[in-house]
Amino acid sequence: MKEKVLSIINQIRAAKGLEAIPTLNLSDSLRDDLGFTSFDLAELTVRIEDEFDIDIFEDGLVNTVGEICAKLSK
Amino acid sequence: MTKNFLVDKGNIYTYTDLLIAISADNQYFPYYQTHNLFDFFVNLVKALSSSKDIVLLDADMNPSEFYALDGDIDFSKKMPAYTTPFSSLSELVDNLRNSSSRLTIFTSGTTGQPKKVVHNLGTLTRSVRIGEKYINNIWAYAYNPTHMAGLQVFFQAFENVNMLVNVFNQPRKDVYTQIERYGITHISATPTFYRLLLPLEKTFPSVQRITLGGEKSDAHLCEILRQIFPLSKINNVYASTEAGSLFAAKGDCFQFPEKMQDKFKVVDDELLIHRSLLGESANFQFDGDYYHSGDLIDWVDKEKGLFRFRSRKNELINVGGYKVNPSEVEGALLRIEGVQQALVYGKSNSVLGNILCADVKLEQGSNLSELDIRKSLLGQLQDFKVPRRIKFVETLSLTHTGKLRRV
Repeated sequence: MKEKVLSIINQIRAAKGLEAIPTLNLSDSLRDDLGFTSFDLAELTVRIEDEFDIDIFEDGLVNTVGEICAKLSK
Repeated sequence: MTKNFLVDKGNIYTYTDLLIAISADNQYFPYYQTHNLFDFFVNLVKALSSSKDIVLLDADMNPSEFYALDGDIDFSKKMPAYTTPFSSLSELVDNLRNSSSRLTIFTSGTTGQPKKVVHNLGTLTRSVRIGEKYINNIWAYAYNPTHMAGLQVFFQAFENVNMLVNVFNQPRKDVYTQIERYGITHISATPTFYRLLLPLEKTFPSVQRITLGGEKSDAHLCEILRQIFPLSKINNVYASTEAGSLFAAKGDCFQFPEKMQDKFKVVDDELLIHRSLLGESANFQFDGDYYHSGDLIDWVDKEKGLFRFRSRKNELINVGGYKVNPSEVEGALLRIEGVQQALVYGKSNSVLGNILCADVKLEQGSNLSELDIRKSLLGQLQDFKVPRRIKFVETLSLTHTGKLRRV
């Protein structure tokens, strides 16, 4: 699951012209550390929903990579 | 002591800085594209205070998006603005208030390319309030300065000589840092902007007023905003590129202002706006004296003129407060070599309200990737118009009239 999340994050970063991150850091903030804007976060929700069938932002925003993984492993 | 005018990317500009920059050169750019907000405002105020016409272009607009509108646009062209320099800030402000400039902005239009709308200062500053009680307001600037909402906030702040703090597209922690550092009292932004400030971690008592506009708001969001900004009043506004600011909300409903009752009609649940409230555009289609806004409403109390917005009638897709015309994006997709057919649609999304998606059928033998297509679109379109998910399909379904079917 983590590999898939990593590849989704890097796919979004690639479209923004940012370099890929080598590993998932659970404490990384999506907005502050990964540089995601609202449009990037929206894209992240769609891609994760396509893959895992879960809307990670449905009940309020998630801030960190760790929070995404927690939602997906429930 | 001179008041601060603008904080942007760590730089503080005072109103004296603004006056000096305007006085340095009496020429202005009628067409001007810049990422520098201070330079943008210098050029804008110089033009308006001198009653000169100006066209506002987004910093990320591509040539193909506006060349189709006006033929060749010469960005290096400068024109004389004022003849006598402004002697004081108050002269600058007074001149802007009484300006006879015509200001052109762009709207997504309902077909094809973006369309021009020409406004005079009257329409743009209709909702500006000036007076003693506003002089200490400090604004978070959370909109694109070339769009209607950004202009509304700018005029409200500038005419009261308030400070603007640019928070547009900034990370959450920077927004909060600036609210505290500068004691921001007023924030006007889209629901998408506010959603990014969630969740509640700390409260910010300096904020007195929270305004939401540009897209559908929701009760859950307002409830959390009330906790983050415990001393603020929260309200919604309805403004459009075509007509400027029209009405503010009562709770989660909107109400026609008493003085303007006869300027609105509702036909088949669609809001119609009287032509006297609009800017000018060759593309407005009128029904008698009324313009079809494309916004559908539900009555809450028809007698009192209370209503809620339901959805859009036409095909424009509201993506985080930006309206996207799918046929414009489809046109751009079809210009990419290797793309045979394309369908652009909105998919409901918990962050942006809607996210832009595209289904694309490639020509045989083409090996374009999603990333190739997005990069190519970014060379043609503004970022918010680029689909965030592109699916490759074998066939696109057609309606019985042979049009592509939107989902």
